[in-house]
Amino acid sequence: MHNLGFALEGAWQVLAAGLLLGAGLPALFGLGIRALAYGAGGDAEEHAAGVRGPAAHRLGTVAAWLLFALVLAGVALGITFIVASGFGKTLSFAHLVPTLVDK
Amino acid sequence: MTETSVILALVVVTALGFDFTNGFHDTANAMATSIATRALRPKVAVALSGLLNLIGAFLSVEVALTVTNAVVKIQNSNGTPRAGLLADGGTALLLIVLAGLVGGIVWNLLTWLLGLPSSSSHALFGGLIGATVAGLGWSGVNWNGDGSKLDGVVGKVILPALMSPVIAGVVAAAGTWLIYRITAGVARRFTDNGFRWGQIGSASLVSLAHGTNDAQKTMGVITLALIAAGDWTDPRSIPFWVKASCALAIALGTYLGGWRIIRTLGKGLVEIAPPQGLAAESASAAVILASSHLGFALSTTHVATGSILGSGVGRPGARVRWRVAGRMVAAWLITLPAAALAGALMWWIGHLLGGGPAGGLAVFVLLLAAATAMYLRSRRAPVDHENVNDEWEDARPAERVPAGVAR
Repeated sequence: MHNLGFALEGAWQVLAAGLLLGAGLPALFGLGIRALAYGAGGDAEEHAAGVRGPAAHRLGTVAAWLLFALVLAGVALGITFIVASGFGKTLSFAHLVPTLVDK
Repeated sequence: MTETSVILALVVVTALGFDFTNGFHDTANAMATSIATRALRPKVAVALSGLLNLIGAFLSVEVALTVTNAVVKIQNSNGTPRAGLLADGGTALLLIVLAGLVGGIVWNLLTWLLGLPSSSSHALFGGLIGATVAGLGWSGVNWNGDGSKLDGVVGKVILPALMSPVIAGVVAAAGTWLIYRITAGVARRFTDNGFRWGQIGSASLVSLAHGTNDAQKTMGVITLALIAAGDWTDPRSIPFWVKASCALAIALGTYLGGWRIIRTLGKGLVEIAPPQGLAAESASAAVILASSHLGFALSTTHVATGSILGSGVGRPGARVRWRVAGRMVAAWLITLPAAALAGALMWWIGHLLGGGPAGGLAVFVLLLAAATAMYLRSRRAPVDHENVNDEWEDARPAERVPAGVAR
């Protein structure tokens, strides 16, 4: 049954990384959309029929693009990882900042 | 041409054929959600996915030459073929590989005909296991590894297959739930437009990862055959033509698009909205990348299916067709044994005909016949880019239940 132990060990790590990146990044993206709608105001947000929508907020738009940039950085990390592993390198998070190291 | 080179040629062609079916079988994993939500037009989606698979395949510089070691014992740990199989110019090993590949292709085509997303790697491993059992006996299979690491049929195939859909499903459900919570109060049209872009990005990532993961399995198999036949000696690298042809085969297969499977995954399981599509593809991408980082082998298909199911579970009020999911799970369970049976059968046929070129050719002709038959059968109810998004009908009437039987 040693295989089950190894598999469970791998599984929870995949789950943790998956939740962080696979659910966290989409949530950030959703937050970006939310901020973008707050920034745009008007019909971008749900509001009672017949009245004018909420006013536009510049701050929302800025926050939205910051969030999108963060998500893009996450995706860039993913692509770097794919490319790096093809060339026998791997991403190390040992010093918090991701760096490329030999496998 | 020597006898060996005839079988070698058959192995190479069959391996590329398997790579091709691997491509179109798995287009759905990346693109089904984007096609279903109309974030991308069907033809654009498969073209994008094909291109990214091509790039991905070329990026897989690190060679999976030991790919078969996870399940069977026909290679040494450094990737060279076992010495005992190299008598007669390597035909013994070539026949096992050929029969295994044929088993994998036949199962891939059958599940495609039924519109079921089954795992191409399971089909390949199943075929190889079957052919190895037929050729070398039960001890030729690496069932449980040696205890030092996750290995063997149990560790590399069965356990990951049980766990990965659940992990992906949990991640996708969490992502979907969060997104719907966060964007509550934002107008639907506004969110859908934004999430479309997120969907395209995340689906592209899945395609790229697929190209790097799956194409190299075939590259490894072809190189193994070349070494066995004495046409290549270095177990640490692969010939460039092998890499190029495998990359092209998987990309062309992806571009062809397994529309039947795309339809099942995109429309059959869950009615997908753009936020769910984003959550599902991000979950798939993250789980695939995290597992390959940790050396946890898994099937893209299982992950993608789990993710899409999870995106249905995570959205309050969404409808999940558990019946369709049940059919898929049933297909997953029988993929390995069914492909193994086909692989074993092919080996016996090839062996009965002497195991030489005649046997190899017979197996190859059988493959062509089966493929043609299934293709013709598929034309009776074609699914293509035109009707892939039609409403899903639960057409099948409920099974008759004898009177008096409690449901």
